[in-house]
Amino acid sequence: MNGFVLTPVEYVGRWSIKRVRTLGKAGYLTTAALRALKNFEIWGPRVATQLVSVGVASVPIALFIAAFTGIVLAINASYTLTGAVPIYLVGAMVGKSMIMELGPVLTGLSLAGRVGASSAAELGTMRVTEQIDALETLAYDPLAYLVVPRVLAGMLMFPVVIVLASAFGILWGWAASLTLLDMSSAEFVRGLRLFFEPWDVQYAAIKSMSFGLIVTGVGSFYGFHAKGGAGGVGVATTRAVVVSSMLILVLDAFWAMVLL
Amino acid sequence: MSIELKGVHRAFGQNQVLRGLDLDVQDGETLSIIGFSGAGKSVILKHMVGLIRPDAGEAHVDGKNVNALGLEALNQVRRDVGYVFQFAALFDSMNIGDNVSMGLRRIPEMYEEEIVSRVHECLALVDLEGIEDRYPSELSGGMLKRAGLARAIATRPKYLLYDEPTTGLDPVTVTVIDRLIVRMKEELGVTGIVITHDMESAYRISDRIAMLHEGRIRTCGTVDEIKASDDHLLRSFIEGRPELMEKAS
Repeated sequence: MNGFVLTPVEYVGRWSIKRVRTLGKAGYLTTAALRALKNFEIWGPRVATQLVSVGVASVPIALFIAAFTGIVLAINASYTLTGAVPIYLVGAMVGKSMIMELGPVLTGLSLAGRVGASSAAELGTMRVTEQIDALETLAYDPLAYLVVPRVLAGMLMFPVVIVLASAFGILWGWAASLTLLDMSSAEFVRGLRLFFEPWDVQYAAIKSMSFGLIVTGVGSFYGFHAKGGAGGVGVATTRAVVVSSMLILVLDAFWAMVLL
Repeated sequence: MSIELKGVHRAFGQNQVLRGLDLDVQDGETLSIIGFSGAGKSVILKHMVGLIRPDAGEAHVDGKNVNALGLEALNQVRRDVGYVFQFAALFDSMNIGDNVSMGLRRIPEMYEEEIVSRVHECLALVDLEGIEDRYPSELSGGMLKRAGLARAIATRPKYLLYDEPTTGLDPVTVTVIDRLIVRMKEELGVTGIVITHDMESAYRISDRIAMLHEGRIRTCGTVDEIKASDDHLLRSFIEGRPELMEKAS
């Protein structure tokens, strides 16, 4: 009888302990990574490589997603607004949505897959093949060598990639409006400029920077704590993508509540 | 006394691996640690360089308690200890030259020319001249182990820790690695601690052999003493005869 009563309680208890333990590990890793910032001679030379790997290499996928988002946004806006409000508001909807919401969130989610997964897989493989232990025996702080340059690159490059993707999405929304919706260029631009605020771009950049921190940080965290062999690396990679995707959505709501 | 473990206890979850282990390694000797799979032999080595911290007890290297040191001081100790990993643990994104030079780049007073020359010298010492530009994925198992050894000796450490250096290699390559271990001791004067299951290899390279069992050193002695021992458990391990284990218990 006790078994039936206690099993769900035990389950919840164990689940809670695991979550608390993970939070504890994350807190420890964050503190240690902040302390590792003082080892510039270790992480400094590796930042450029990470800027390329996290940022430049992510541009094609970000632009691809943004282009189709821009096209769909324009068509959806036209479908919703035709007959109700002036058609030039399509430009406003495409611009506002791309800059403030869809550009950062969709690009962030796609980069959670690309950058977060690759960080977790690379660090996880290094963990299970003892390469991280080897770094330590060679007097390297593995956090300074592996985590700090990744996270800095994420925070610097996510805003760049996301702003670029948003601009590209708007461009394709514009092109779709001209070719598919029977709108003129002047109408689209009029709508685009109507509600545009420079603050929107700053808001997107702040959000993007936090997404960069989360994606690279969570990817590094799960990779760093990977256990076992290939299976362990697979679990770490999956968790990195799932958790960073969820945190992107939570952060998105957080910034909307705090900054808007 | 150069490396000493005192009363080390270490558990992983419910699994109590080390149970008050005491071990001392004398300057200039090669000590082999043998024991059944999962006994915790690699865990012992990891305590010596602070990769694992004991639940209780102390690990001393040159009189310094490794677990009480800050990161800077610990890194100083680590420069004196070369670690040869079981599967080499070479950085697969780097070529062999960069792998071997990694430890040297942490020494501020070393210039680039000195680093290049030291890398060349270490690779020559393990008979791997001219492979600086090759990647770990392009090397055979034996070459990987030797490259791992070259990386470990690059900083000219006083101690070398070998984690199963001959496991999975063919008999000829095993002999090559054994000769290298002896050469490291004779030419570089390093103190060696070797984890192995291979008794022939242990006899060839060791000054002393210690057997780990149930978290403690069960037997420790010279090669002749180990060969002459009538401990049933040790004999069962050496001769590969499980039936002797029953007599031991």
